Amino acid sequence: MTTIVNLTRAELRKLVASRTFLIGLILSVGLAVISVVLDALVAGKSGHAALGTAASTNQMLKLGVLCAVGMLMLGIIAAGGEYRHKTIIPAMLVTPRRGAMVAAKVIGITVAGVVLSVLTFGSGLATAVAELSAHHIHHLPADTGSLFAGSVFAGALFGVIGVALGYITRSTIAAVVGAVGWVLFVETVILQNVAPNLAKWLVSGAASALTDPGMLASKALTPATAVAVLSAYTVTLLAVAYGLVLHRDVA
Amino acid sequence: MINVDHLTKRYGPVTAVDGLSFEVGPGRVTGFLGPNGAGKTTTLRMLLGLTAPTSGTATINGARYRDLPTPARTVGAALDNDCFHPGRSGAEHLRIMATAAGISRHRAATVLDIAGLAEAGHRRVGTYSLGMRQRLTLATTLLGDPGVLILDEPLNGLDPDGIRWMRDLLRQLAGEGRTVLVSSHLLAETAQTVDDVVVINNGRLAAEGPVAELTAATSTTRIRTPDTDLLMSVLARQQITARLVAPDTIEVRGADPDRVARVAAAAGVIVLELTRHTENLEELFFDLTSDHANDRVMEACPS
Repeated sequence: MTTIVNLTRAELRKLVASRTFLIGLILSVGLAVISVVLDALVAGKSGHAALGTAASTNQMLKLGVLCAVGMLMLGIIAAGGEYRHKTIIPAMLVTPRRGAMVAAKVIGITVAGVVLSVLTFGSGLATAVAELSAHHIHHLPADTGSLFAGSVFAGALFGVIGVALGYITRSTIAAVVGAVGWVLFVETVILQNVAPNLAKWLVSGAASALTDPGMLASKALTPATAVAVLSAYTVTLLAVAYGLVLHRDVA
Repeated sequence: MINVDHLTKRYGPVTAVDGLSFEVGPGRVTGFLGPNGAGKTTTLRMLLGLTAPTSGTATINGARYRDLPTPARTVGAALDNDCFHPGRSGAEHLRIMATAAGISRHRAATVLDIAGLAEAGHRRVGTYSLGMRQRLTLATTLLGDPGVLILDEPLNGLDPDGIRWMRDLLRQLAGEGRTVLVSSHLLAETAQTVDDVVVINNGRLAAEGPVAELTAATSTTRIRTPDTDLLMSVLARQQITARLVAPDTIEVRGADPDRVARVAAAAGVIVLELTRHTENLEELFFDLTSDHANDRVMEACPS
């Protein structure tokens, strides 16, 4: 147990010491604020829902994708970067128990995912509240809390998925290209249009059910099912990564 | 104590390490030598649990690396001098490694000082020279104040001052009773650093033992005499193998020159000149690792 605690502290220290997490956090929070401001600016114009309606507020709070994509990248960099910079070698020399090393990485990125997602969604929500208040609107959709929780959950799990992909591919570039290509192109562009009933059971489909306000009340998976599906994908990928890390020679 | 016992590693049809066995004891600096592709790094990786052996065992203080209760406090190991995140400072790298190993963060400052990087500790590793990275690598290995040090090519990238510093430090660490295993291809520099050597070639042990003993065992004595036939026969009767290298010169390999001189004198052989040539580590290395040389040297030094 002490080993896991020490390794997790080291993982958190790596995140704090690296500019990547800080830049990712600033970008994520900044984009969340800008996104909400832009949504407020266009509300009621060019066919967009009027400010204060559920549709408009839902559009403003569609921030989970920032948390998820941001943490997917950070997770990939956290694990794949260990191979890129060969820091995996001293890491495995300090901790020959590779399972503990993977566990600490997962715990560290989960904490980072929660922090980034809370700050990202929180900043966006605070901006939305400020925008609405400026227009004398003082109510939020009833499912705002669910969206907040869903975004934080998705952010944390996408970070872990990123870690798994980084360990599996041992290459940040391959993992980023593969993950972005799969999520944005295969799932979102192709399958959501060609086979929506299949797409909703895939990674981004399940994440959308938790983070997209429009999906919460529509044809998507129920939140409970989405949590189970996203968790299943995460655990499966992590199991593959764990097996590879455990048995693969380190060169 | 490092113990490698019948260690073998095969990659498909290629045997990188082939039944390798040797021991490295405390209080001495042991050089791990071999030509490129001899299997040095593969052996060290197996010793450190980074690569799984096909067969055989490699233990440190009687345990496999992965089974050591506190590996970072037992073994300081470095296999590459570029295992750093370039965006972190040297001090931050050490603090992270110390945290992971459960070692006090204050130790990071101590080892930075030992490595001569106290002033550069706050700089990003990406700005370090090769020599500074080498020093930071060594600092990392010393974090846990380990009793065993395993260093792969620690002299690479060091300038003459750095090489002297590293040599003195390794000797000091061995003098404190630590086990120090150093792989290197810089033979002249290694010769001034190590007490013992383990030489491998094509994944197999070529020789093992104190440098002085190995060089003595492969040393030659040349005797110039007009009585070559008589001397050859009396040496043969004493089980001393000799060969004629010139019409008036016989060469004896490995035997004590005093003994050769006494045998010659006892037989009444006129000796015009007797010279001894002791190989240095570089000559020994090439002798051991050249094709078809191993059998002869192993006979001379079966350890």
